[in-house]
Amino acid sequence: MTNDAAAMPIAEYLAQGGKLTSPENVPPRYRGELLRLMSSFVDSELAGSAGFAAAINWAPGIKERIAASRITLEKADHAERVLDLMQGFGTDKALYNQAHDWAARVSRDDRIDPRRQGGDMRLSVFYYPLTGWTDAVVMNVLMGMATLHALTEMQRSSYQPLAEVMRDLLPRERRHMELGQEGLERLARSDRDGVRASVAYWMPRVAETFGPAQSERFEKQRGMGLRHTDNETLRQSWRAQAGSVLTALGLD
Amino acid sequence: MPRFHPLEVTEVRRETRDAVVVTLKPQDAGAFAFTQGQYLTFRREFDGEELRRSYSICAGLDEGCLRVGIKRVDGGAFSTWANEELKPGDMLEAMTPQGRFFTALDPATAKSYLGFAGGSGITPVLSIIKTVLSREPASTFTLVYANRQVGSIMFREELEDLKNTYLGRFSVVHILESEGQEIDLFTGRIDADKMEMLFRMWIDAETVDTAFICGPEPMMLTIADSLRKHGLSDDQIKFELFASSQPGRAKKRAVSQQAVNAANSCEVSVTLDGATRSFRMPKDGTSVLDAAIDHDMDAPYSCKAGVCSTCRAKVLEGEVEMEVNHALEDYEVRAGYVLSCQCIPLSDKLVLSYDE
Repeated sequence: MTNDAAAMPIAEYLAQGGKLTSPENVPPRYRGELLRLMSSFVDSELAGSAGFAAAINWAPGIKERIAASRITLEKADHAERVLDLMQGFGTDKALYNQAHDWAARVSRDDRIDPRRQGGDMRLSVFYYPLTGWTDAVVMNVLMGMATLHALTEMQRSSYQPLAEVMRDLLPRERRHMELGQEGLERLARSDRDGVRASVAYWMPRVAETFGPAQSERFEKQRGMGLRHTDNETLRQSWRAQAGSVLTALGLD
Repeated sequence: MPRFHPLEVTEVRRETRDAVVVTLKPQDAGAFAFTQGQYLTFRREFDGEELRRSYSICAGLDEGCLRVGIKRVDGGAFSTWANEELKPGDMLEAMTPQGRFFTALDPATAKSYLGFAGGSGITPVLSIIKTVLSREPASTFTLVYANRQVGSIMFREELEDLKNTYLGRFSVVHILESEGQEIDLFTGRIDADKMEMLFRMWIDAETVDTAFICGPEPMMLTIADSLRKHGLSDDQIKFELFASSQPGRAKKRAVSQQAVNAANSCEVSVTLDGATRSFRMPKDGTSVLDAAIDHDMDAPYSCKAGVCSTCRAKVLEGEVEMEVNHALEDYEVRAGYVLSCQCIPLSDKLVLSYDE
């Protein structure tokens, strides 16, 4: 880094696939959108981890207990890795963790606006409570697949440090989803009705997390190289993947 | 919150007509342990205003010293001062090393690295070159180094010495813009054609593990594009952006002389993505961010607790009070930046921008 005058406008550089590399070289509006994306990720991981903690004690066996513990632990770790990047922009890491009650949930039948709630930027799906082991496993599989789509999108981010963190997280988040899938295969035999009911509950709520099909924010972030694939394309891709997993288990 | 530490200047070596290499001795050596390719952010006051500038470390991990290269930029206050006035014995203040322009070292590995540097973009790349050659005895490094002319090549002799020290493991291809060399390849700018020639004659893309690029933006785009076409994936290409978004000189904060009076509403004008919207908002403790959102502006925010800094904006006119600030530093506040989620208007007129 040398602080030479920019040789081309940063917007043009980004539009052509350029990468930004540190808090020192992001322009103001890019900074705002980037921090927004990162804090939504951090809040979702923290809320996801807090919600999944209960599943540890619902786990029917030791293997499941370990899997649930691991997911709870690693989601908090993933939040911290992105929070570390935010710290470079001035975010107070210690206070950030205390800013919201990550375990807070609405009641099961409430409907909440999928747009962000107040200052807590978690995805709306993380406001709904889990009801038990089957429910936790189903949510983890469906949301896990959605998370993989989101992470795959973010590993192309024009903010290189974020893209790199996402590349590191992707295999672990994939493992979380696979752990869920293993659990789901067993439950598909032992608690078929429970699984069906949970799938019906979570499918629309997870689908919402991709955001509106037409989104000005997406266009803005695409211009900055922070996003690449539109919400609806990601949602359809997730839907197809979820459909094939459920079909394979005879659950559709 | 990042902290600044004092460092003593122990040597200022003139590298080229426009560049110096500054050796530094931190008082707290432990705080300045660095990774190859990282940079230091300095701060200094010029005419009563704090400027912050980042310069890459050019020393390798095994040189036992901390050294940065500073090229003078036209109109740049800090770089001009460093080139013309900085001398041994002076004290500087810098934050601990930052940046992620590196890959993990592994002495057992035999990797093939490729580096592209334009002008003073060589500084972090030199740190990486020296470090991998010394720490990974089986790895090789090819540097493609673009400059205007021979006289402006930074670290020319040091690179020659490295070639001799690490015979067969390090090679340099110099590309000079304005001085004709024997072969076409070595003259002009790095463009797509030149990259094709490099791949035909010098670089075997298939064997490259990681490529590092630091230089002007158009050069980085051209190179990255060409590397991708030759099969390198994004995670094999490491960028370090040359420029900073900070302007050469911090501008004075515009403060309205208009006295604060007791009216209970404020005329606010907010600029976001180039568009300005004006509205009246009550002075009842409502934050400027909430008022902007109420007026359908898509202003950036996240925590709404004064912690994350997503909602940072700049006050161009008028006065505000920030209820809580855990994210902005003093110099940002002095420059007029506020956390709009914590920002209550005091004056009757307020002009605020998210674009600066």
